[in-house]
Amino acid sequence: MLKRTLVANRGEIACRILRACREAGIEGVAIYASNDAGTLFTELADISIQLEGEGLAETYLNQEQILQIAIDTGCDSIHPGFGFLSERADFAQAVIDSGLIWIGPSPDAITKMGDKMTARITMKEAGVPVIPGEEVTGGLDEVLQIAPSVGYPLLLKATAGGGGKGMRAVHRQEDLESEARAAMREALNAFGDDRIYVERLLTGSRHIEIQVLADKYGKTIHLGERECSVQRRHQKVFEESPSVALDAELREAMGEAACDAARAVAYEGAGTVEFLVTPKGEFFFLEMNTRIQVEHPVTEMVTGVDLVREQLRIAGGQPMSCGPLNMRGHAIEVRLYAEDPSNNFLPAIGELKKFIAPTGPGVRLDTGVREGDAVTPDYDPMLAKLIVWAPSREEALQRMGRALDEFVVLGCTTNVRFLRELCTHQDVVDGWTTTDMIDRLWPDGWNPDISDQMSNAGLLIAAACESTNHGRVLTSSGASSELPSPFSTINRRFP
Amino acid sequence: MEFKTSEGRIEIDAKRSGSAFSHEGMTIHTGDELWLEIDGRKHKAVATKVGDVWWVHVNGHTMQFEVIEPGASSSDDEGGLSAPMPGKILEVHVSVGQSVESGDVLMVMEAMKMEHKIVASSDGKVEAIHFKEGDQVPQGAELLSLGE
Repeated sequence: MLKRTLVANRGEIACRILRACREAGIEGVAIYASNDAGTLFTELADISIQLEGEGLAETYLNQEQILQIAIDTGCDSIHPGFGFLSERADFAQAVIDSGLIWIGPSPDAITKMGDKMTARITMKEAGVPVIPGEEVTGGLDEVLQIAPSVGYPLLLKATAGGGGKGMRAVHRQEDLESEARAAMREALNAFGDDRIYVERLLTGSRHIEIQVLADKYGKTIHLGERECSVQRRHQKVFEESPSVALDAELREAMGEAACDAARAVAYEGAGTVEFLVTPKGEFFFLEMNTRIQVEHPVTEMVTGVDLVREQLRIAGGQPMSCGPLNMRGHAIEVRLYAEDPSNNFLPAIGELKKFIAPTGPGVRLDTGVREGDAVTPDYDPMLAKLIVWAPSREEALQRMGRALDEFVVLGCTTNVRFLRELCTHQDVVDGWTTTDMIDRLWPDGWNPDISDQMSNAGLLIAAACESTNHGRVLTSSGASSELPSPFSTINRRFP
Repeated sequence: MEFKTSEGRIEIDAKRSGSAFSHEGMTIHTGDELWLEIDGRKHKAVATKVGDVWWVHVNGHTMQFEVIEPGASSSDDEGGLSAPMPGKILEVHVSVGQSVESGDVLMVMEAMKMEHKIVASSDGKVEAIHFKEGDQVPQGAELLSLGE
């Protein structure tokens, strides 16, 4: 059993983990950079410690400082969340070497799966199908030499990477050199490693991943799939479970392959095996994410398994509590990004002057922000995740649409309306979600579908608000004929 | 009252009666809460002002309207190329006096660890470059100017 856990993360995933700790009777320790002071996750912890320094390298990526805080505050374990240090084998090793528990798989499993080339070789050996592609170790010249044999369109990926950084699709040979340079540079900046990997881009295929869970007692299970095909800039925006593309037979085959992948690296804890599934129903191993995943809630909603709680349980040396897989109903997650979907999804910043989240049956909001918070360019633009559960896919889409209509975010541009329109888009309703669908449906960019009447109404509202100084708090001096409240009396006494 | 929107400048004349404003069959009821009445149905609205911009949420839509002070100049910064977001200039591909064609990449900037190309929207000549490689730029900053 764990007693005190340091959460080496921020924002919504830190909130998610700290709440699970509280529920499990484990004390939570939060660490935060100075520009995160006073944000939600720092309040959900039993102890919150401010990190010294500025910028990611000195704060959330500062292994020595984080480890020292864990030791100084008497933690017995560290949960890395996702991103940041979650897939750093050296950090996992340092945590273990300090006598603490690393809530995640072994450094060896992280290393094998974290390096795409090693993962590919390991998977081939384990009998898990992999995508046609070539590994490049010789820099730009070798990329140019290898590309013709892989064929176009092709995808350049940072070997050390993830999250769309250092990833480039190349459709024509004449673009290869400049895109390869950009990919290598992004890879170097983001991961300190400019090795890239060239593979065939399988257009029209689906991105489907399998959640796995393994404990120290030799039990490795899968918890069904998540369909994550709707992506922009190679980052997911809309995820669901189950996938319309899988029948029980394919689910079982992919689930077994995912468990084989996990067993091949003696995996422990929660992990995700990503596959590309072609229209013909072939599936290929993409990568394994050796951490809790952003979109884990959809699996939780349909299986009833609390994945973060299982992570804590497994890391504490107990067997997992899950029985046989039992998927029920349909769950969808959308990611609320501070970005402008009508301007190529560029990140946006601003103060969340209004942040009114939807509620009601089957609605779950995993948020790291609240009204009044500032969205800065310092961190990832994902603000929150909205998840719904309903008995059927149709009802889940309807519920998501309703919830998004209720979602009010003012002061910072977000993708709420874009997500709302996805819910009623025919391809999404029909389940024809593919990784290239956003580019395919909106080749010239997306613009909100709004009637003239509604945009006129908006204008009229703005005019009415301007005329009445709407929302402006009037001071108590003078104008009011009512009796002064005790508070305003105090105010006057202490001007 | 005049506003700037994505469609350009729009003037609106609303009829006021107490705390209600109406225009072309729509009525806005103001007060602690905002209600839009349209075709006999009521929709709750939320609005807040940030700087000169009113942010409005109604019926699942979020809109922005910039209030234009009466008498303000109407010159928009045409021909300027501004930073779509705060970030860092990675590369400058052109020099002052150089002729460029629509679609040419002028600069590459990085923000949120992603690269973005600043592309010429029309043919022209580079008149001025306001930032150099490595400079941090705020959102909306004019990066360079193109002339005829």
